[in-house]
Amino acid sequence: MWCYEKRLQFPVNIKTTCPKTAQLIISQYGGPDGELSASMRYLSQRYSMPVKKVGGLLTDIGTEELGHMEIICAIVYQLTRNLTEEEAKTAGFDAYYIDHTKGLFPQAAAGVPFTSLEFQSKGDAITDLFEDLAAEQKARTVYENLLRVITEPDIVAPLKFLRAREIVHFQRFGEALEMTKQQLNAKNFYYYNPEFDKK
Amino acid sequence: MDNSFCSCKETLAIATVPIQQWCEPYPWETALYEGTIFPSINLLFFKAPLSTEPSKSSCKKSEKETLLDQIYAISFAVNDLTLYLDTHPDCLNGTKLFYQLIKKRVDLLTEFSDKYEPLTQFSMGIEPYDTSIYNWSEGPMPWEGGNL
Repeated sequence: MWCYEKRLQFPVNIKTTCPKTAQLIISQYGGPDGELSASMRYLSQRYSMPVKKVGGLLTDIGTEELGHMEIICAIVYQLTRNLTEEEAKTAGFDAYYIDHTKGLFPQAAAGVPFTSLEFQSKGDAITDLFEDLAAEQKARTVYENLLRVITEPDIVAPLKFLRAREIVHFQRFGEALEMTKQQLNAKNFYYYNPEFDKK
Repeated sequence: MDNSFCSCKETLAIATVPIQQWCEPYPWETALYEGTIFPSINLLFFKAPLSTEPSKSSCKKSEKETLLDQIYAISFAVNDLTLYLDTHPDCLNGTKLFYQLIKKRVDLLTEFSDKYEPLTQFSMGIEPYDTSIYNWSEGPMPWEGGNL
């Protein structure tokens, strides 16, 4: 069960319309390393995690990622809410506009729609935690790519915040990996799959 | 802190991430704009400006905005500390701080709900039961930003 709180995790106040920037940032909504993919990945992996505390961490990070999805959507919405007909035609947003007008739709910057293939749930604690560590690094790279091309302070502030969260989550998943290793055979972490084999 | 699971000896064919040790957190307002309460894991990107904290001198904030700023800062500290405690359940410093922050957050949310509109249903008044005070749908939507 989730409880909604009527505010963003980090404030977003963008005054200037910029559909081109929206079209880039939307990748962190529905792109391969986006926040939708992140939240669904962690919230799917948690059920079969052998270490209870790791399932708890996946729940808490997965929940935070839902909040990050909301921040990204708020950025895209605010960048396009005052879009004029002329801007829809010329400002690098035309293809998106034809399919979705100004509605929010999860897709990558290059226009590929969100697909569940973009998040992995493998049913092996070690494998899934490495997936999560890599996912945080991939999302960090995307935020850094965005920060190289975007300079508007109102947009930079939430992007910088979200990038910092990727590093914190990486650290926590690393600690979760250590907690999981503690439950396994220290001489051979691959001797059995703690999510499948009964030991 | 308790290091019971910090016996992370390096082994062949698997990665090891060292366990974070407790460090003095940032002031809450700063932590929000840094993206973590812990200076030790705040690793900057050279292209991002050092500070994104809105300058305090710019136009005077309303009482409502000031209260909301505090809610943002304290709630974020709770979020970040929650993840830390997920992997450091025996850390006394973290646990003590958690309860202090939770109390502060509940107080702020209640004050905001009493003065303006509720941000959570937990902070809505209990009585009197009256349609005229029911206000869950009042206030701006979170994604609208700006003008409170």
